Amino acid sequence: MALVLAVILCLVCGFALASLGWPRSAGLGSAVLLRASLTGPFGLAVFSIIFFIGRVFGVSHLVALDLIAGTMLAAAAARRRSQGDPQGLKPALIAAPGGTAEAVPYPAVPFPVVPCSDRIGSAGSGTGKRISHPVWLERVVTAGFVVSVGAAVYSAWLRAWARPQGSGWDAFAIWNLHARFLFRGGGHWRDGFSPLISWSHPDYPLLLPAAVAHFWSYLGHDEPAVPAVIGLVFTFCTVGLLCAALWLLRGRSCALLGGLALLSTPAFIDLGTWQYADVPLSFFLLATVAFLCLRDERAGSSPGLLALAGVAAGFAAWTKNEGVLFLCAIVLALAWHMGRERSRKMSSQGFEGRRVSTIPLLAALTPVLVVIIYFKRFVAPPGDLFSDPASMLHKVLEPARYWAVIKWYATEFFRFGHWLAIPGTLLLVGFYFAVAKEQHARRGPGFRAAVVGLALTLAGYFAVYLITPLDIYWHLRFSLDRLFLQVWPAVIFLFFLSVRAGEQSAAGDRI
Amino acid sequence: MQDLLPSDRAPRRITIASVIFVLCCLLSSARMVLDTPLPRQGKADEIARLSDRRFAALRAELPQRGVVGYVGESGSLAVADYYLAQYALTPLVVEHSANHRMVVGNFPSAAGEVPGQDLQLAQELQLVKDFGNGVLLFANPRFADIPATDKDAR
Repeated sequence: MALVLAVILCLVCGFALASLGWPRSAGLGSAVLLRASLTGPFGLAVFSIIFFIGRVFGVSHLVALDLIAGTMLAAAAARRRSQGDPQGLKPALIAAPGGTAEAVPYPAVPFPVVPCSDRIGSAGSGTGKRISHPVWLERVVTAGFVVSVGAAVYSAWLRAWARPQGSGWDAFAIWNLHARFLFRGGGHWRDGFSPLISWSHPDYPLLLPAAVAHFWSYLGHDEPAVPAVIGLVFTFCTVGLLCAALWLLRGRSCALLGGLALLSTPAFIDLGTWQYADVPLSFFLLATVAFLCLRDERAGSSPGLLALAGVAAGFAAWTKNEGVLFLCAIVLALAWHMGRERSRKMSSQGFEGRRVSTIPLLAALTPVLVVIIYFKRFVAPPGDLFSDPASMLHKVLEPARYWAVIKWYATEFFRFGHWLAIPGTLLLVGFYFAVAKEQHARRGPGFRAAVVGLALTLAGYFAVYLITPLDIYWHLRFSLDRLFLQVWPAVIFLFFLSVRAGEQSAAGDRI
Repeated sequence: MQDLLPSDRAPRRITIASVIFVLCCLLSSARMVLDTPLPRQGKADEIARLSDRRFAALRAELPQRGVVGYVGESGSLAVADYYLAQYALTPLVVEHSANHRMVVGNFPSAAGEVPGQDLQLAQELQLVKDFGNGVLLFANPRFADIPATDKDAR
C-alpha cells in the first residue's frame, strides 16, 4: 500500500511538472505519449529533490512533504490550464505545395508528408510534393519497430531479473551505496559523503540515489527491486520520449525509425539495467534537446517549453557531473546563438524577443541549480578531477594525450553500441546520404543550440580525459562508451529531425 | 518517406535504404536477445551473496554509525571485496586502513584462515570474533587507549 501511494505521488508530481510547462491552449490529451514519457522521470527527479531537502532539514514525514509538493504542483498546473492561452494556440504553418505557408489542422493521413524546411513558424517556400508511400514499406518499418520493442523488453527484463542489484561496480560502489547511506544513515546521512571513501565519488549528484532512497523509505527496507525498476523506467521512457518528440515534429515514420535505432542499440538496453546513472542522464539530455526543438516548431515564444528545457537540463546536472557540463554547454550554446543573431543585425524587436525568451529556461533551472550548489558546497567533498592544477597544465601540453583520446574517440564511434555487423553510427551516416543528401532542412535556433551544446559537451569530455588524474587509457576504456551512450538518444533525435525521412505531423496530437 | 524527393530514382534509393536500416537494426536486436542471460544462467543475487549475506552477522554486532577499519586480501578481487564490504556495512564508513579501534577482516578465499601475506598485519590486531566464511572482526590494540572520536565506531 505504501508503495502504491509512493508511485501515485511520484507520477502526480511528474505529470504536474510536465503539464506546468506545456502550452496552455494545447488539449490535456495532447502529446499523450510525450507527456507519459516525461511523467515517470520527472516524478523521480522531484522525489529525489524532496528527499534531499527532507534530509537536509531533518524532516522525517516524507509523505507530508510529498503531498504538499504534489498538491502544489498539481494546483499550479490546473491553474495555468484554467487561465487559458491569451495568445491562443497558433497552429504550425505548413507549406503548401505551391510555396505558400498556411495553417493546417494536421490531417490524419497515414505516412503523409510535411516539408519541414517550410514548416512551422516560417514563411514557407515549399518545394516538396506528395507521393504516396508504399504500404509494404510502412508495414516493414512498423513490424521492425514492434519486433525491436519486444526484443528490448525481453532482454531488459531478463537482465534485470538475472542481476537484481545491477551490473558492474558502479551500481554497488557508487549509486546504490549512496542510496543506502541516504536511507540507512537517517540523521547521519552525511557520513556517506566522507572523504575517507573518496573512491565512491561522494561528489556525484544525487538524483538517482535520492529517488531510490525515497522509495525505500516508503517500503521501510532497501528493496533491490527499486533501483532495478527505476533503471527500466528511465530506459523505456527515453525510447518513448524519442519516439513521441519525433512523431510530433517529423511524423510517424521518423518516430519509428528513431525508436528502432535506439531500441536496437544493445549497449543502451544493457546499460539501462546496470543501475548506473548514464541512461537517466541520457533521458534528461534528450528531453532538453527535444524541448528546445519543439519550441522551434511552435509559433509564438512558448516560454513553457523553454522552461521545461531548463528543468530537464537542471535535472541532468542533478543526475551526474557530466550533466553539469551539459548544462553549461547548452547555456553557452544559447548565448552563442544570441550573439550570432546580434551580429546578423536582427531587428531590435526580434532580438529582444529572443533574449527575453531564454529567461524561462534560466528561471526554471534556478531551483534545481540551488539544490546542486548546496550539495556541492555543503555536503560533497571536492572531486578529484581538478585537485592538481599543476599536473593538469602539464597534461594539457602533452600531444600524446590528445592523440590517445582522438584514437579512442574514433574507435568508440564505431563500437560503443555493441551492434552486430554494422555500427549504428555508420548506419545513420549511410542513411543520411541515401535519404537526405538532396534535402536541407531549415534548422531553428533550438536545433542549432542543441547541436552546438552536444558538440561542446563532447569537447568537454575530451578535455576531461586530457586532464584526468587517472590513467588515461584505463579511464577511456571504462567510461568512453558510456559517455557516448549518454548523448546517443539526443543524437538520434537530432539526426531524424534533420533528415526528413517520412515526414508527417502527428495527426490530431499536436502541441 | 521518399515523398519529398523530386526525382523518380530517389524513392527506390530511399526504400532500399530504409529496408537495410530496419534489417541492420533487427540484426542488433537479435544479438541482444541471444546475449540475454536465461533465468537459469543468471547469477541471481550475486552481489547479495558476496555482500549482504556474508556480512549480515557482523553488521548486527557493529554499532549503527561511525568509522571502522578494514583489512583484506590482496589480489585482483581485493578492491571489489572491499567495496562489497562497504556496501553491506552501510551506514558505517569502512576505511581501508587498520588504524581504527575496530577493524573488519575480509578474507573470502581463505574462509577463515588469514593468508600469509596478510598475516603480519593481522597479527598486529586482536581477533574479536570469527563470523565464518572469511569474515572477522579485529580490535587494534594500538588504538585501544585512544579515546574514540565522534566518527570512530564505538
